[in-house]
Amino acid sequence: MNVLETLITEFARLPGVGRKTAQRLVYHLLQQPRERMETLAAAIAGVAERVHPCAECGQPTEDAVCDICRDPRRDAGLVCVVEEPSAVAVVERSGAFRGRYVVLGGRLSPLDGIGPDALRIDLLGRRLAGGDVREVILATNSSLEGEATATYLQQVLAGHPGVRVSRLARGLPVGGELEYVDGVTLTHALTAREELR
Amino acid sequence: MAGTPLLTPAIVLGSLRYAESSRIVRLATREYGVQSAIAKGALRPRSRFGAALQLLSEGHAHLLPSRSSDLHTLVAFDLVATHSGLARNLERFGAASALAEVATRFVPPVANLALYDQLRHDVELIELAPPDAIRVVALRAMWRLIIELGLGPTVSRCVRDAVSLPAGAVALSLREGGFLCAACAGLGATTRLGPQDRADLVALLGSHLELPLLTDRQAAAHRRLLVRWIWEHLGDTSMPALESWSAARS
Repeated sequence: MNVLETLITEFARLPGVGRKTAQRLVYHLLQQPRERMETLAAAIAGVAERVHPCAECGQPTEDAVCDICRDPRRDAGLVCVVEEPSAVAVVERSGAFRGRYVVLGGRLSPLDGIGPDALRIDLLGRRLAGGDVREVILATNSSLEGEATATYLQQVLAGHPGVRVSRLARGLPVGGELEYVDGVTLTHALTAREELR
Repeated sequence: MAGTPLLTPAIVLGSLRYAESSRIVRLATREYGVQSAIAKGALRPRSRFGAALQLLSEGHAHLLPSRSSDLHTLVAFDLVATHSGLARNLERFGAASALAEVATRFVPPVANLALYDQLRHDVELIELAPPDAIRVVALRAMWRLIIELGLGPTVSRCVRDAVSLPAGAVALSLREGGFLCAACAGLGATTRLGPQDRADLVALLGSHLELPLLTDRQAAAHRRLLVRWIWEHLGDTSMPALESWSAARS
């Protein structure tokens, strides 16, 4: 396989990129100045060489420990467990969470061959062993697999009676209209309704 | 099925992300067997699919058949049940995932109303079974699926020469597809089942019979036997959910 074919094949392996899109991207790159291609290649090589999971939370970082885990202003007693690093960025964007994270690196999915051993549950164990944690927020996705992962973590955390375990609330999207909300979401919203004081 | 829009009861057997915001779903449908369909925009927060396309969700699929491929378009999915109770117990979740995997791999894209109704019913049973019955309910569900696929073992007589079998221990031939009489049993590789194991297997296979009481060890042995049966008759060795369920301790 020549380099052009190899590059197309590699692009086509990326999520959401089919072979046609991969070809378009490669031909677009061919029209760019050589320096731009070299910058892209160097960036990819740099990520491969220097980026690795944070030793404490598992999200990608260039240092041994990521900025969030190093930040002394973050609340070490509050831990948010997410499936993927992309979820950290989403929670951070909300600005509503000032604790620390554990990135599992996936969720229980027997159909994909992912069992508890494939997840970074050891990171959660290490956080708990520190003795500072008072609450763990299970922020796995609201899918069947995400819920099963939360069930598993709940069982793991049952061995830590001093730690409060919570789950992200589910319900109506802010700004959403009731008539467009599906029945399952509405059921959750009704079950977890709040009293107005 | 190409051309006309279709409405059929369906169960989501699995899905994978496609492009930025879509999903490709595998559906067990009542009228068209297992089909693949693209649910465009399913990952968007305000998607019309909402929470409907979760694993083992049950509903009515509106399918727009493709004229050129076997990937259809899922226009809508009217949710009937999500079976979220499966996620609150890992044994239920593992068993239901294994059932979905076997159905995905081996149910053909043709109508089999009895198979669909059985599958739907069994997912519900696995979700609602008392905790100590999950293992046997799941074993029966798997055997029922295999029987509906036309690959169930012959246990009422010798599979080779059709003679009736005396009570007691019996030889099971995976290759030949059932119990063998004493005269036939010496002629090939068999698995010997003691009287209780034989009775338990017969009970698991017969949906009108009372479910057997199995210890953890017995249940594990029955799961291993079932997996060997699937490998022998359906010929696919890469089934992570089935293997994970088979290796489970309970």
